[in-house]
Amino acid sequence: MSATVQSLVNQPYKYGFVTNIESDTLPRGLSEDTVRLISAKKEEPDWMLQFRLKAYRQWLKMVEPTWALVDYPAINYQDIIYYSAPKVTEKKKSLDEVDPELLETFEKLGISLSEQKRLTNVAVDAIFDSVSVATTFKEKLAEKGVIFCSISEAVKEHPELVKKYLGSVVPAGDNFFAALNAAVFSDGSFVFIPKGVACPMELSTYFRINNGDSGQFERTLIVAEEGSQVSYLEGCTAPMYDTNQLHAAVVELVALDNADIKYSTVQNWYAGDENGKGGIYNFVTKRGLCQGVNSKISWTQVETGSAITWKYPSCVLAGDNSVGEFYSVALTNHYQQADTGTKMVHVGKNTRSTIISKGISAGNSKNSYRGLVKISPKAAGARNYSQCDSMLIGDNAQANTFPYIQVQNNGSKVEHEASTSKIGEDQLFYFAQRGISQEDAISMMISGFCKDVFNQLPMEFAVEADRLLSLKLEGSVG
Amino acid sequence: MTIQSTLSDVGNLGLSTKVDRAAYLLGLLSLRSELPSELAGLQEIRDRAFSVVRDRAIPSTREEEWRFTDLSGLLQVQFQNSAPSEIGFPQIESFLLPESTNSRLVFVDGVYAPALSAVDDLPDGVLVGNLAAGVQLFPKLYEHLALHPGGEEIFTALNTASFTDGAIVRVSQNQAIASPIHLLFVSTQEALCHPRALVVAETGSSVTLVEEYVSLAEGAYFTNPVTEIWLGENAEVRHTRVQRDSVAAFHIGKTAVSQARDSRYDCTAVSLGGKLSRHHLEVYQTGEQTDTKLNGLTIVDGDRLGDTHSLIALSQPYGTANQVNKTIVSDRAHAVFNGKVFVPKAAQLTNAAQLSRNLLLSPKARVDTKPQLEITADNVKCAHGATVSQLEDDEVFYLQSRGIEADQARKLLTYAFAIEVIDRISVASLRHALTQLVRIQSA
Repeated sequence: MSATVQSLVNQPYKYGFVTNIESDTLPRGLSEDTVRLISAKKEEPDWMLQFRLKAYRQWLKMVEPTWALVDYPAINYQDIIYYSAPKVTEKKKSLDEVDPELLETFEKLGISLSEQKRLTNVAVDAIFDSVSVATTFKEKLAEKGVIFCSISEAVKEHPELVKKYLGSVVPAGDNFFAALNAAVFSDGSFVFIPKGVACPMELSTYFRINNGDSGQFERTLIVAEEGSQVSYLEGCTAPMYDTNQLHAAVVELVALDNADIKYSTVQNWYAGDENGKGGIYNFVTKRGLCQGVNSKISWTQVETGSAITWKYPSCVLAGDNSVGEFYSVALTNHYQQADTGTKMVHVGKNTRSTIISKGISAGNSKNSYRGLVKISPKAAGARNYSQCDSMLIGDNAQANTFPYIQVQNNGSKVEHEASTSKIGEDQLFYFAQRGISQEDAISMMISGFCKDVFNQLPMEFAVEADRLLSLKLEGSVG
Repeated sequence: MTIQSTLSDVGNLGLSTKVDRAAYLLGLLSLRSELPSELAGLQEIRDRAFSVVRDRAIPSTREEEWRFTDLSGLLQVQFQNSAPSEIGFPQIESFLLPESTNSRLVFVDGVYAPALSAVDDLPDGVLVGNLAAGVQLFPKLYEHLALHPGGEEIFTALNTASFTDGAIVRVSQNQAIASPIHLLFVSTQEALCHPRALVVAETGSSVTLVEEYVSLAEGAYFTNPVTEIWLGENAEVRHTRVQRDSVAAFHIGKTAVSQARDSRYDCTAVSLGGKLSRHHLEVYQTGEQTDTKLNGLTIVDGDRLGDTHSLIALSQPYGTANQVNKTIVSDRAHAVFNGKVFVPKAAQLTNAAQLSRNLLLSPKARVDTKPQLEITADNVKCAHGATVSQLEDDEVFYLQSRGIEADQARKLLTYAFAIEVIDRISVASLRHALTQLVRIQSA
């Protein structure tokens, strides 16, 4: 059986091509000058530069965290290119003016940027290396008052909003990688949904790393005002290089009273080859603040790429009756390492959170769930349910769970369940009895294992998640 | 940030610089007295542990293993060595077990009390005595004492560097002892002591062990016990560990267990006393098809802290491990649980389950629990679970609908929660005594 499973999970990476495009690249290394230069290149106002410099100075004093269960050689932060952008003089008004090479790249990735060709109702912000190259459906969104643009644009056009919310959920000095991001972030998406508006379409950002030596540091900020709703998806790919690249992103979500944010990620960065050479180091800080009463933030993530994933999408449930959700599928293969999970911090009364985490580890990979559920003394009536299941394929793979549960209020209820298992011979036999081949049976069981999470993905993106699953487990998704 | 944690941070800042914590540890080490001459052979073991612990410091909450257990309260107490204590039967009578009238070892403040102990009429091949008897009658002691992994843990090493006596239980091949062996450690004064016990159950043997820490003093003493248990092939040990120290005492204990193939270890650990109590329970399965059952109950009230850190390391195929840890927390008390289960690649066909259940009885009560699974073998079944809650309103209502007062109903439910663990104790008199105690504590 294991041979079949091995061949199933060992599918080659399809997005590993490089686009030949002229780029505007800063020299390697990081110093205060680099930070100033990035800020200058982006023509940022002074307050933004000060934000970056403050973060940079804090970063200098911090040490890289070592508590995660991942091994990697020390990163030389002076050997990274902190800014790389496709060479364009200015951002194009119309897609016709965008470099055809770039458009083709995104076509190849299955992301159509030409609005007239789009069938699905999705607005896309495409980020190539460090810079946003195109945002679709902007005008249509603007009719409703929704702002969807790159964060560099937002800094110029909506400084009061950016100033108010940037760093309010993940402060510049939050952790080592967040501080690094705050100092050098190049671009990212900005979403603002005004009071009472339900965003008329799904929003999506597509991240692509192209340059072999550059790090990617994007920053996403989503603000949902009172009573608004938004669903957002990010997707990520990168070419195959045999060196490791650093990706340190920060995502901040703010939900005011009665607002609802749904954030989905399909992460498929290059994971390195079968010997663990190359791949992206994905060190990401994602946090949502349910600031208002009855607000809701829901994270859904499908993590299949990256050599190393270090990521804990969190919810701070500050508003009374607010709701946090976390649905995750993490698939690791070869020498991939994932230390991922969530934090649910209950502060307000009657706050509720749900955690569903599914880990699949194959090959020589390590897959750890690390989660925190914290009920603070004032969070009366708080409720949490967590379930984290692991599936092991092959006896060199590792699955770990580290759930921290901290309860300081007796009017609350916390439940946690975890299990680890493999696909049983008797299950396969049952399928065989019904005339279903082993390969189909395994993929059906894996689909079933992940179903609770995939069901949470917005319908428009179910196709993408399916495509990804079929990529990793080809021929199996029926 | 909560008020409690703010305060404890302030406490840390005020007292526990690393220099202070190292100095405090040296202070504890300086209290150790010389080994009696008949135990001279153990000097080397002591010296080795001394060199391990000498340059270290009492851990702070910055260390992951001690993150929720703040020892700054310990640092504020200066301990001394115990003075010789003269206690007689009347004082300890209430602690004696009728089942163990001829198989009892009593240690007073860590010192063997032969007059209070009784080890007559034991079958051939069974040795129950103190270390002095052990070095004479059981030379294999050197193959077991202080040889468990994890001996470098700071308080374990402190014990190994400081012990001057201890209990030894050896059950030779294929012997089964009917009467439980009762190891009673009595504290009578505000002092530091390092009780030690070594249990060797050889191939095919079977023994029931009761390890009990009790107190005749109300003050702040510090008990730092280490118990090592070795199970030979197909051996069986039923172990009950009861900690009933004074509510002002500090208790940081270690139980380390090694299991050879086909052996069965069943432990019920009940922790009721101590201002700060912590039990490290480490089980190493070294052979195939070993079975481990761990049951724990911690009841804390006032502003006390009760901590259980357990580790089950499987290493061979067909092992089973089953753990249930319960805590009942009232007032401003704090319970901590950390349960690690390691299933390496070789341990295929393991079946392991772990459950942490926590009952919070007051709004200020606090629980930090972390069940932790680390698995590399693919053909295994492992599960863990954790719950934290107060009593269910529905359950209280049900009892009320049967005419039981709400207050009474809550007591009954709390009692029922606790008794699930107590009921597993095989020694009847101890089970009854603890049932009474729990009834009082949960009232």
